Amino acid sequence: MPLHKFNPSIKAFTVIVCVLILSVFFDPVTPFLTLVMTAAATFIFGRVSFKRWILLFSPFIFMAAVYIWSALIFSKTIEGETILWSWGIFTLTEEGFQRALSLGMRVLSFTSLSLLFILTTKPTEFLLSLMQQCRLPPKLAYGIMAGYRFLPLMKEEFEIIRSAHRIRGVPKARTLPEKMAEFKRYTVPLLAGAIRKAERTAMAMESKGFTGDKNRDFYHKISVSWKDWAYFAIFIGAVLFSTYISWLLGFLKLYNGEL
Amino acid sequence: MALQHKQPLLITEQLSFRHEDVKNPIFKNVNFSLYPGEAVLLLGPSGCGKSTLAFCLNKLYPEAVDGELDGTISFKGKKFEEFRPGEINQHIGIVFQDPESQFCMTTVEDELAFGLENMKTPPEEIESKIDEALELVDLLPYKHTLIHTLSGGQKQKLALACVLSLKPEILILDEPTANLDPASSYELTRIIKKLKENQAFSLLIIEHKLDDWIDLTDRCVVLNREGEILFNGSTADCFNKYAEELLLEGIWLPSAVRAGLIGKKAGIYKGEKLPLTDQELIAGFVNPYAALQILDNQKTKHQVSEEQIILSAENLYFHKNGKDLLKNISFSVRKGEFVAIAGSNGSGKTTLSGLLAGLYAPSKGSILFGDRSLSQWKEQELRLKLGYVFQNPEHQLIADSVFDEIAFSLKIQRMTDADIKKVVQAVLHQVNLLQHADMHPFSLSQGQKRRLSVASMLVNDQDLLLLDEPTFGQDARTSVELMKLLETKIQSGGSVVMITHDMEILHSYADKVIVLSEGEKIYDGLPDALWKKEEIMKIASLKVPYIEKLRNNIGSIAGREKFALT
Amino acid sequence: MLEKWKLREVIVLSVLAVVFAVVYLVFLQFGNVLYGMFGLIGYDLIFGIWFIVSIIAAYIIRKPGAAFLSETIAAAIEVMIGNAVGPRLILSGMIQGIGAEAVFAATKWKNYRTWVLIAAGMGSSVTSFIWGYFISGYAALSPAYVTAMFFVRLISGALLAGLLGKWLSESLAKTGALNSFPIGKELKRGKTKNGITA
Repeated sequence: MPLHKFNPSIKAFTVIVCVLILSVFFDPVTPFLTLVMTAAATFIFGRVSFKRWILLFSPFIFMAAVYIWSALIFSKTIEGETILWSWGIFTLTEEGFQRALSLGMRVLSFTSLSLLFILTTKPTEFLLSLMQQCRLPPKLAYGIMAGYRFLPLMKEEFEIIRSAHRIRGVPKARTLPEKMAEFKRYTVPLLAGAIRKAERTAMAMESKGFTGDKNRDFYHKISVSWKDWAYFAIFIGAVLFSTYISWLLGFLKLYNGEL
Repeated sequence: MALQHKQPLLITEQLSFRHEDVKNPIFKNVNFSLYPGEAVLLLGPSGCGKSTLAFCLNKLYPEAVDGELDGTISFKGKKFEEFRPGEINQHIGIVFQDPESQFCMTTVEDELAFGLENMKTPPEEIESKIDEALELVDLLPYKHTLIHTLSGGQKQKLALACVLSLKPEILILDEPTANLDPASSYELTRIIKKLKENQAFSLLIIEHKLDDWIDLTDRCVVLNREGEILFNGSTADCFNKYAEELLLEGIWLPSAVRAGLIGKKAGIYKGEKLPLTDQELIAGFVNPYAALQILDNQKTKHQVSEEQIILSAENLYFHKNGKDLLKNISFSVRKGEFVAIAGSNGSGKTTLSGLLAGLYAPSKGSILFGDRSLSQWKEQELRLKLGYVFQNPEHQLIADSVFDEIAFSLKIQRMTDADIKKVVQAVLHQVNLLQHADMHPFSLSQGQKRRLSVASMLVNDQDLLLLDEPTFGQDARTSVELMKLLETKIQSGGSVVMITHDMEILHSYADKVIVLSEGEKIYDGLPDALWKKEEIMKIASLKVPYIEKLRNNIGSIAGREKFALT
Repeated sequence: MLEKWKLREVIVLSVLAVVFAVVYLVFLQFGNVLYGMFGLIGYDLIFGIWFIVSIIAAYIIRKPGAAFLSETIAAAIEVMIGNAVGPRLILSGMIQGIGAEAVFAATKWKNYRTWVLIAAGMGSSVTSFIWGYFISGYAALSPAYVTAMFFVRLISGALLAGLLGKWLSESLAKTGALNSFPIGKELKRGKTKNGITA
């Protein structure tokens, strides 16, 4: 069964629970194993192309690298740690290195879990599921859907505004005040247009008899079956399995903020 | 029509509406009724509250805004206040003007389901109702399509399907074709006409361009500038007796009526009443061919310089995402010339104008502007010589006040404040916006925004002005004002290249037409010769201008008479 | 909470969230550059921008829940269009929204003067920092560095969320697009100096 078929709310819940479990631990091996398993599931059961995945994943590799760098340079040194390298106020210890690596891996494992969700879930189905399973008020859910519909439109408008700035001969912003003015020149027209359209959309929705009534019978029913809970169990199992392996290898460490 | 003996579906009594914080009501003391099965045209100048009235009749107002509604509206004898929220919308449906903001779901099927769910339709019945409604507007093949990939015309058909799926007794159309090109607009009116014949609903139509609607309306209600009812009666009476008053109120007349009025003033139309149809018009002319001459002499001729070429495109190609958007396009624009570019949606018109404006570079081929290739111009210098006007005026407005909007490019050129003030005032005076100099550009009216966006491109006295469908979605008066500005531009030796769907403009102003189809140039020549090329007209889904349509009708009537005689 | 909202307000809220979800993603790239230059604290320099929708939505709509919901929806939309932080980001959004909402709640949603908007931006800084401390493991960093990060973020929230949000909302009101909202009506009546609604 492809990952697209599972209940979106349970998929989201699964990601959140997995992230919470992972945040309890602080070692490089647990998140690394989770990352490998999640990525594999995304490719095999989610039928997501590697190209698409890595495109979204790569900025986070960079982010993880920065995390590691920050943690290396600005970490506090606890007495009794093995010093690997030292220069002026900067000291690098073996333990510090492991902490930095844990932090980076943590970011990447969270990312892979989230990507699995994003790449295998349709936004409309997620919102329908939130209404049907999680009692999200229809007024809010359809309001979000209406706003979400504006995205492609705004992308077009953004391109047009950019051309228009060239036509009008707007010089490139260099200083901070110029950058602020530029930011405003883009956001204000986009927002002004979008807000007027939003008001019209609200009227169009009301003209179709939408009142936000919570008793709604859905045409497109999103159901929950034992398979969805099995999905949940398998993912939690995989994360716990990662911690078990990490424990076997002697890496497992609890995260308790004292580091 | 003998409908009046029936009970009215909808009655309004002494209806007035006032926005909060505004003293004068938008419309006042409106009394009118809508009978089962009839089609009523609601006319009035811009800003007279037609749309506001439509929103009140659908119970959207006053709930959706902060305003005050006085008087009563009742549907089938029951007052509006007695209906539960959302209940009346099952009986009275509305299609709005803007195709972009009528939907809240991502696919066609989901959007229809949304309305049906709101009406508490049992889920198992929804699918068949969706299919039925899509069938009515010929959209069934698009059931699973993403809405944002549909064309404007398809979106409006979808909006119509959404309303029809609820089986309303009254259908309100609030300028549904204002943002459509002529071909899609004609298609929509034909669908509505067909539906009207087979389904039992009443129609309330608000429109500016009346030609395609006139044959399906039974009655007209006219509001004046103050929002009071000026006329309420049969369509024929409305235009017969009040044509001149309507013109005075700034209401656009159907082409046949307008031609009849001109003919009457010139003494060549002898009909007893003003005509509603071409047949009546032709029958009223003493000499139809002579009348054509008189009607057609409004055409503008420009002093085009024979040798001075301002822009020439040679063998342009443009590829994007593996698609050939433009193929081997060559043409030239001379000093003082008005060149029009026409073609159906997706034929590459906007892409071409983007290349001509130097916004992106052609994949192959070259563009010569003035004395050198477009790519050799420095960006800043180029913008002083070549202007570009976007379809939506708001897109190119960038300053916080009308004054600064015009002053913007002058400031970049480091002109002194005193000089800037002089130039800006002169330009604002020319476009009649001087009294609004301190306002925010976005808070202007539609027509004022259009004039400002053009003015911002006139200030540097550019040699060439490119315009991308500047009259699209604008009312008649705005279009006329715009064309006046462009005429002055050409008189002063500038050149204009304009993308347009409006064949009337093309007929009256263009010296040369270029027709594109699927990225290729299929016509380059005089407009008058284009109307004769039936195949090209069909491929590019162009409509002949009214005067040509009339010429053809005269010809076919004359032919028929000759045939009857022999 | 939503019963008192008009559908129009809900959709405007959602549109604001959509626009700023995109802005947030753009700034994420910018943040990454600052990261590379200054380390973690670089991120804090512009952290305030990620609270701006709370301030703008609350300032425009002026109803309980505007700050919280807008930030939450913006995060949800960011997730939908591809911020790989994923559903966890929605939680971060909620926490940031609560910070600003708490400040508006303290004025019973009646006062929208400049200092309240600034305080709301700082409110988001506080809650987001507490959350970040636990989830991103700031504890691994030296206490002096963490303190510096906190103050930088507090100032960023005040300026980039509070003041910039106010400025953008008022620029927007000048376009006439907000005429049916309290902020537009105030502008019309020329009473912009005191942002108090009766």
